[in-house]
Amino acid sequence: MLSIENLHVSVGDKQILKGISLNIGHGEVHAIMGPNGSGKSTLAHVLAGRDGYTVNSGTVRYNGVDLLDLAPEERAREGVFLAFQYPVEIPGVSNIVLLKAALNSIRKHKGLDELDAMDFISLVKSKTKLVDMDEKFLYRAVNEGFSGGEKKRNEILQMAVLEPRLAILDETDSGLDIDAIKIVSDGVNALRSEDRSIVLVTHYQRLLDYIKPDFVHVLAGGRIVKSGDASLALELEDRGYGWVQQHAGA
Amino acid sequence: MSTSTQEIEKLIGQDYKQGFVTDLDADTFPPGLNEDVIAAISAKKKEPEFLLEWRLKAYRHWLTLKSPEWAFVKFPPIDYQAMSYYSAPKDKGDGPKSIEEVDPKLLETYKKLGIPLAEQERLAGVAVDAIFDSVSVATTFKEKLAEAGVIFCPISEAVQTHPELVQQYLGSVVPVSDNYFAALNSAVFTDGSFVFIPKGVRCPMELSTYFRINAANTGQFERTLIIAEESSHVSYLEGCTAPMRDENQLHAAVVELVALDNAEIKYSTVQNWYPGDENGVGGIYNFVTKRGDCRGQNSKISWTQVETGSAITWKYPSCVLTGDNSVGEFYSVALTNNHQQADTGTKMIHIGKNTRSTIISKGISAGKAQNIYRGLVKVLKGAENARNYTQCDSLLIGDKCGAHTFPYMEIRQPTAQVEHEASTSKISEDQLFYCMQRGISAEDAVCMIVNGFCKEVFKELPMEFAVEAQALLGISLEGSVG
Amino acid sequence: MSVQFKEHYVSQYSALQASLPGTGLPWLNALRKQALDRFSRSGFPSPREEEWRYTNVAPIERKLFSPFVGTASVDSASLARYRVDGAACLVFVDGQFNAALSTVPEPGEDIVICPMGEAMEKHPDLVEKHFGSVIQRESSGFLSFNTALFTDGALVFLPEGMKIDCPLQLLYVSASPDVLSTARNLVVAQPGSQVEIIESYVGLGDAGYLTAAVTELLVADDSYVTWSKLQSENGRAFHFGGLYADVGPNGRLDHSSFSFGGLLVRNEVHVDLAEASECSLDGLFLATGRQHVDNHTRIGHRKPHGVSREFYKGILDQRARGVFQGRVIVDQYAQKTDSEMNNRNLLLSSDAEIDIKPQLEIYADDVKCAHGVTVGQIEDESVFYLQSRGVDAVAARNMLTFAFANEMVGKIDRPALRSLVQDELLDALPATNLRKEWL
Repeated sequence: MLSIENLHVSVGDKQILKGISLNIGHGEVHAIMGPNGSGKSTLAHVLAGRDGYTVNSGTVRYNGVDLLDLAPEERAREGVFLAFQYPVEIPGVSNIVLLKAALNSIRKHKGLDELDAMDFISLVKSKTKLVDMDEKFLYRAVNEGFSGGEKKRNEILQMAVLEPRLAILDETDSGLDIDAIKIVSDGVNALRSEDRSIVLVTHYQRLLDYIKPDFVHVLAGGRIVKSGDASLALELEDRGYGWVQQHAGA
Repeated sequence: MSTSTQEIEKLIGQDYKQGFVTDLDADTFPPGLNEDVIAAISAKKKEPEFLLEWRLKAYRHWLTLKSPEWAFVKFPPIDYQAMSYYSAPKDKGDGPKSIEEVDPKLLETYKKLGIPLAEQERLAGVAVDAIFDSVSVATTFKEKLAEAGVIFCPISEAVQTHPELVQQYLGSVVPVSDNYFAALNSAVFTDGSFVFIPKGVRCPMELSTYFRINAANTGQFERTLIIAEESSHVSYLEGCTAPMRDENQLHAAVVELVALDNAEIKYSTVQNWYPGDENGVGGIYNFVTKRGDCRGQNSKISWTQVETGSAITWKYPSCVLTGDNSVGEFYSVALTNNHQQADTGTKMIHIGKNTRSTIISKGISAGKAQNIYRGLVKVLKGAENARNYTQCDSLLIGDKCGAHTFPYMEIRQPTAQVEHEASTSKISEDQLFYCMQRGISAEDAVCMIVNGFCKEVFKELPMEFAVEAQALLGISLEGSVG
Repeated sequence: MSVQFKEHYVSQYSALQASLPGTGLPWLNALRKQALDRFSRSGFPSPREEEWRYTNVAPIERKLFSPFVGTASVDSASLARYRVDGAACLVFVDGQFNAALSTVPEPGEDIVICPMGEAMEKHPDLVEKHFGSVIQRESSGFLSFNTALFTDGALVFLPEGMKIDCPLQLLYVSASPDVLSTARNLVVAQPGSQVEIIESYVGLGDAGYLTAAVTELLVADDSYVTWSKLQSENGRAFHFGGLYADVGPNGRLDHSSFSFGGLLVRNEVHVDLAEASECSLDGLFLATGRQHVDNHTRIGHRKPHGVSREFYKGILDQRARGVFQGRVIVDQYAQKTDSEMNNRNLLLSSDAEIDIKPQLEIYADDVKCAHGVTVGQIEDESVFYLQSRGVDAVAARNMLTFAFANEMVGKIDRPALRSLVQDELLDALPATNLRKEWL
């Protein structure tokens, strides 16, 4: 469903991604691991369509369309969801208002009617349970004054409501304690399905203890230097990133 | 034990150590101002014709102006006919050719002020232009700087040796009609420094000018012009002191800076003119127009000032950010005590695209002093993505002083981001007690707190001046130079 | 030209003198006469005055406005959307009290709520005692103008310890072309009393007019006054509105201002605080087209332990020009003052402009005073976040603009008023497709 071919991306004069190729099938869970500065977050942002990145060459096909051609909101409506590493605080816009605007624009894109207020609210409420979230958070401004864990849970809640086909979780475990990682992971696992692919971007292996990936890729210096199954993550944990970097150089 | 406000005030108030008079024969004009006096100044300086014309034009314009009244300062009207506009130590012949020929009394004066000029005693790495009343008495390291292509000399000399540069740039940043004191200065200026850094040159040492008022009943009219050509860099410092007298004396300066593409000028001031006594008698009126034009792309002008002296300060070092991506900075500490009044701040005029400015102002007010921050941030229509950050903080010591903040923001560009913060606080007895309970003396605690308050500005000063600035505030130096 | 408008208003005064409220009261006649003299000397303020440097009222001088004589007819239904549910309401049409449109409460127990014309007849001593006690010096031409020419207004008097349960709305309607609406209000809250007042300005026709309204408000010891101003003048209107308040020891004033309408608008709030008294000033101003909106506030901390909080937001679109001037003065004896001021502005168009002048004047040392100002646009990061959730960029910007404004509306306690202001806001801003039930 997602096919990245030889993707080169720079920020300003600096080359960040130097030829990434990656195929993700329906329902697969891929983990992208790598040291700081390897380009993991860049990849996530480029897929979501953030400004400030220049794609120098390469293609990204998503369910038969050129993903790079689409505006960020079009990608979202096509089912691409980015869970942000640093979820943005939006004072004055409540979660419920954001969710309703987002869900209705996605439904409209799919040719569906807008949900009426009652159906919408019961849908959202049912999803809050998934991430163990108090309903009153729905009426608070988006991420404003949320703790780190609450912000990440809120991202997963949005994912649950919007039901993407490709979910990219950017460092969703960063800054979380073990209990919070468990809650977030349970939420993600509950959302795993045949027609939803997931990309986990993470520095540490520990998230993968809770969300088992089908494939693991190691990103270093803007390239995928090694790919394997879930056992690769464990090996990395043991031997450190120095090992793959050397390995790649050799 | 608690430390009363009075004691804190005492710690801040220090004796003025530069208040002595140098006794020497001087060539001084009789008091009075008219076109003949201006012609006489011009003749003394052996100026080219264009400059006399320029002076007279300024004078005629000045006659049409009124002394500005918008500042938050009070002083009796100045009698411009009662002061002398030129005073210089008598010298034998045509002015000193080298340091060795300078009157030993003058060398002694500067030595006492901590600015040794004689070859063997000079501060390494700092070239000094020493200006005494209306003339420059010595400039050090001139030859060494000339080797790098840098011109550093009294402006009265530049007028003769580089008239084309002076004609091109003088008044190009501060026009003669700019304001009352700038017009007066343009008519009667006597000396100041001239700096020219050619294309691509990084000035090999700090340049500095030391201004000394000595003669009684005179006004000092400094004119300084600094030009940094493309991709050049210079750091310039100025210091100022004057004797203790019961009469007020006027120092009305104009400083113009021009930075071309990729050039950077860093201009630092430690102003310690005689502030008057504790009853508000005497002291210098420091009415100064300082402005830098970031004319070139990516150019940068940074003003840092520590203002502790003067009875009245009226001064707004400003940046005109003409070039795209240019940067203006203003860092200021202004301390007023007793009856001092300071109305100071800056103007940042954003004209070019992506221009950025930063304003950090720290005002400390004690005794019966009034300390005013007045600033303007103006973003014109074309200044896309302009950025400004302003922070002005005031510290009050005692309940008879005042601290006032008058910022103006005029924004004509929707992509501009302008942020302004201001706060006012005091040194609390709790803070002092806390320090003292940890074993720190009250004096050191006040120094620490004031120093901490000013830290963001001090760290912008060149090392030599940071030391002097902290000493001026009565601050212990230990571990405090950031 | 400039002489012409002064002469016009002097002659208006002569013509109307006999019918102005309180015409039988010598003290008031003298006061009006002095004010008229001052106005005929100084006229309206000029941008040369520091307090008016960003607002030029010359367009007001170029037209001649006259008080309405007779009875204007206004359909009650056209006012429905401006009425706050559950509030008693005094309606003034073209500067004259209109009994038919009003619902005057009869609270009893020596509480007085009545139009100024009636007050001058029934409670002349009360008026004389308090009139001019807050405004001792007429610092601007508009004050003198109002004192000389006011045609009506409201008197509200609360005796000690009294509380009015329902809010009182003062609704000023301008309906006739070129009309001059000059209201003068006097509100006295005696010690320990409590009242909520909503002041609304509405223009019904399309033609221009001039509103020049002045209110004196006395909040005595331990009293609590909540005051909201909603300015929805029409797009050709000139509006000057000034509230001058004295807050006594331990008293409190909460003021909020919502300024959406008018062509040339000046909203002034002046508050002087006594010992341990508090005020909060909130404001939201929107301007578009060629509107010019100036918000001018002054808080004087006169005695120790006062607290003031101020928060204004501005949104400027198209060729609109906004001004925010906030002045805080702390006197030498006002130790332990605690004052905070904030102003945030959004420029939505490359032709919109804002001028800001926050000022701190501090003469006491043991104080905590701060102000913060920002000018900016909607953050790209927030827009991207919404885009990444499927909302298009234009809708995202509109949503964020609304959110920026709605923060101020959300601070309104009274639901009926909040809902009314929100309707105005949704009308005034670019479409957000937001439905009210989600706010």
